[in-house]
Amino acid sequence: MSTFSALTDNRPDWSRIALYATLLAMIAFYLSPLESGLMTSIKTQAGFQQTSPFVPPLPGQFAIEPWIEAFGRLQSGLVNSVLFAIPATILSATIGSITAYGLTNTKWRGQALVLMVLIAGIFIPYQSVLVPLSRFWTIVDLGSLLAVIPPLADRSELIALTITHTAYGIPICTLLFRAHYKSIDSSMIEAARLDGATIATIYYRIILPLSIPMFAVALIYQFTNIWNDLLFAIVLISDNSNDVVTMSLQKLTGSMVSQYNIQMAGAFITALPTLLVYIVFGEQFAEGVAGGGT
Amino acid sequence: MAELQLDHITKTFHDDDEGEIVAVDDVSIDIADGEFLILVGPSGCGKSTTLRMVAGLESITEGEIRLGEAVINDKRPQERDTAMVFQSYALYPHMTVRENMSFGLEESTDLSDEAIDARVTESTRMMGIEDLLDRKPAELSGGQQQRVALGRAIVREPEAFLMDEPLANLDAKLRSQMRTELQRIQEDLGVTTIYVTHDQTEAMTMGDRIAILNDGILQQVGTPLECYHEPENLFVAGFIGEPSMNFFEMRLEGDRLVDDGFEYALTEAHRESIGTTDRVVLGIRPEDIEVGVDGSGSHHYEVGIDVIEPRGDENNVHVTFEPAAADPETFVATIGGMRQATPGETITVGFPPEAIHLFDAATERTLHNRSLETIEDVEVVTQQ
Amino acid sequence: MDTNQSPDSDPPTETVSTDGGLPVEATESTESTLQRWRRSELVKSLPFWLPATLLVGLFVYGAIGWNFIISLTDWQGLRRVTYNPAEFDLDNYFEFFGKVAEGGLLGGPQEYWAFRNTFVLLILFTVVALIVGLLLALLVDQKIRFENSFRTVFLLPMSLSFVVTAVFWAWMYNPSSGMINEGLRLVGLGAITQNWISDPQFKLFAVIFALIWQFSGYCMVVYLAGLRAIPTDQYEAAKVDGANTLKMYWRVIIPQLRASTTSAAVVLMVFALKAFDFLFVMFGTQPGRSADILALMMYREAFAGTANWAYASAIATILFVMALGVISPYLYRQYKRGAL
Repeated sequence: MSTFSALTDNRPDWSRIALYATLLAMIAFYLSPLESGLMTSIKTQAGFQQTSPFVPPLPGQFAIEPWIEAFGRLQSGLVNSVLFAIPATILSATIGSITAYGLTNTKWRGQALVLMVLIAGIFIPYQSVLVPLSRFWTIVDLGSLLAVIPPLADRSELIALTITHTAYGIPICTLLFRAHYKSIDSSMIEAARLDGATIATIYYRIILPLSIPMFAVALIYQFTNIWNDLLFAIVLISDNSNDVVTMSLQKLTGSMVSQYNIQMAGAFITALPTLLVYIVFGEQFAEGVAGGGT
Repeated sequence: MAELQLDHITKTFHDDDEGEIVAVDDVSIDIADGEFLILVGPSGCGKSTTLRMVAGLESITEGEIRLGEAVINDKRPQERDTAMVFQSYALYPHMTVRENMSFGLEESTDLSDEAIDARVTESTRMMGIEDLLDRKPAELSGGQQQRVALGRAIVREPEAFLMDEPLANLDAKLRSQMRTELQRIQEDLGVTTIYVTHDQTEAMTMGDRIAILNDGILQQVGTPLECYHEPENLFVAGFIGEPSMNFFEMRLEGDRLVDDGFEYALTEAHRESIGTTDRVVLGIRPEDIEVGVDGSGSHHYEVGIDVIEPRGDENNVHVTFEPAAADPETFVATIGGMRQATPGETITVGFPPEAIHLFDAATERTLHNRSLETIEDVEVVTQQ
Repeated sequence: MDTNQSPDSDPPTETVSTDGGLPVEATESTESTLQRWRRSELVKSLPFWLPATLLVGLFVYGAIGWNFIISLTDWQGLRRVTYNPAEFDLDNYFEFFGKVAEGGLLGGPQEYWAFRNTFVLLILFTVVALIVGLLLALLVDQKIRFENSFRTVFLLPMSLSFVVTAVFWAWMYNPSSGMINEGLRLVGLGAITQNWISDPQFKLFAVIFALIWQFSGYCMVVYLAGLRAIPTDQYEAAKVDGANTLKMYWRVIIPQLRASTTSAAVVLMVFALKAFDFLFVMFGTQPGRSADILALMMYREAFAGTANWAYASAIATILFVMALGVISPYLYRQYKRGAL
């Protein structure tokens, strides 16, 4: 497919140059919001008002204070996000894997139907469950159920959020794992059956070890989704001390309307965990994103 | 060691669009203790389904399968005392060779770790893979993976081996090597074996007997030579042998068979076997056709050469009775590799009366098989 | 079981290819032992998938059903909801569609604008994001150097929260010192600078533009997977047939990306229906007529003080039905193709 490299002699290959120029322009466009945000976040108030957003701070206008200020505001939100996002991620991926296994290795025809029911769950607009969801967690009052264990009772809203995210995360995880399990040679499973392994042993000794790459995909994709969510959090969390980081950031922008440097620093702090995960595990994230749409 | 009996077994699948589909239809085969039986047929004929029913991977719609004295229909796969080798090898990719081979013993027996280890070591020695014990399947060549798959079956010390085209994924050279080796191992262990294949060579060379299936129906069970020389019906005659037997559908007129292209004078024995059947299929194997002889008898014909396929050791000559036709119907004759012919030439071919087969065109059953009187032994050196 | 297949009967005309794998389309016949066996197979798999299916069933389908029932009541404010089937009616739906039908003349009700904007967002966002994604994929697929880095940058916005990207883009669109207007002035286009997110004329399009920035990387990934699935032979065959690059893509390659387009379009459209976080962070619950959408309106009616629970539920049901309209043909086709 050497479409653009047909000319290999010494003349400059203009189409190749145009290709790279276009790509670089696109890169500049895709990174510009981040770049201007980053530059703004390290300027003083006067600095970002007087200079263009994309130029680095002038001498004397450099400031680290916006980051310190933003971090102070987001600190408890970060802790809360970690507390609910990690369990929800692990739970939804694990349950998704087990469910996908149960729906792959049976000859039962109804499994396609069960799967359809699950997959449709990926696509429903969350708005259509918000009112019942808030009713449900009012009726199932985790706070008083857990009253005997005060530390948990104080965090009961976060527990409700964990369970909610787990439930809505299972469909996509099931889909990701099932695509993987369908690609596993079915005669290997049969060989294991002939070897005397039970359905549970096959999962534990054969399927699970072979699922590790898919666990990386599902965990990364789910963590990003759950960490980034705002809608469930603002509906289920009313106690300020339970605010998750996306809520904290939203409140921060509302209270510091013109302090763009602090806003930008806050945005970066909020995004940092998912950004790091993305930079390290970009391939797995891409696989999750692509798998989520099929 | 045990005898394996398939007693009138049938497998029916239910399909939403087409209703009931009979994949295996009333198949009965008795496989003697220690026998090597080849199950052969075109793809989709039900041979794999039959094997999978014996393994317990498919349920049995009707009939009984007995291993030794016991009916195994309702036994779970791991309780059947059979071991299966898959075409894809089905090795566990995350386990070493040692782990692959001990998995079955760990899951289905109470053997101690030492005993398992001893058995694994023994069967790897038998397969010549003792150096590979700590490798994973991805680090092995196709041939080595094949050996591990066989070793995994051997280590179970089963009453019967079930092999589903185990050599199909190997290249030609390795395949012929493994063919011999598999035969030797089976002979050494003396384990009753069913071997599914669609490969002519494997069918002819490996087994004690061949069972030929078509459309789920058992066509014939017999030794390779019986199936080759004395096919019970038209399907077996056409399926066994490469290139295939030539067939001519003809009418009986008196003591002659007549077709548009040619006539064939029948001997008395032929005539007797035909009886009152009026539509007869004449069959003759390509190597039985005499090519380029001077005969001008009633069994010799002038034909045009259409195409020649040189195969080195021999040449397949496609000839036709109607060289002038635009799209002539041809049949095949085999000549030695050192004999030459040119397309377009006219030659004489002979159909020796002792070599022809006759089939009933309507029922496709055999009326008459070739005579085996001309079989001669190779002269042996007599020692004093 | 009565069998009409006597040993000597003719071979059955239908055959099923059962070699080398499980019979996929065919399942067991209706024989008793088989049924027992099949049932045990089903029973054995139940503990694996049933708990999750029940949980999802409760949270997704139970909640949708409950939401629909609430939409039939007239629950509002701090009152307790009462479920009296005798009082169930479709008033909330009549009210909603009545207001939509009034249209946008003389301002018109908010419902009309939210409904209209939802469709504008749905179509414009989906189409443009697909086109941009396809172009990115084609550019990245030219055996370029640093392909991974390019891909990483284009997909990066997808890893960010809408809360974060809304904060970034609010700053980008800032009329006095935002990047967009600064950039326009820099290249001498100062005349067309606008107050992008305050001016009703541009508000919605500014949002769509930012969302395309965020989602086009996703489209690129889907299209790249589609492109990589096309055998290189076809590029070479098209070359041999004398097609120039443009013709080759237009007539040979792009038509084969239909499956990628469908699946990406479904995801984008469903997203467009539920897009909330971005608008909420940028505009709060009152984006005004020009940028209001149903997803935001639903939240506002229920949770932003007014507590019109029943009415919000009706809007939620309408959103659900719209999403169903997008996904059910897609899922049905997947099911028919046996892709599940």
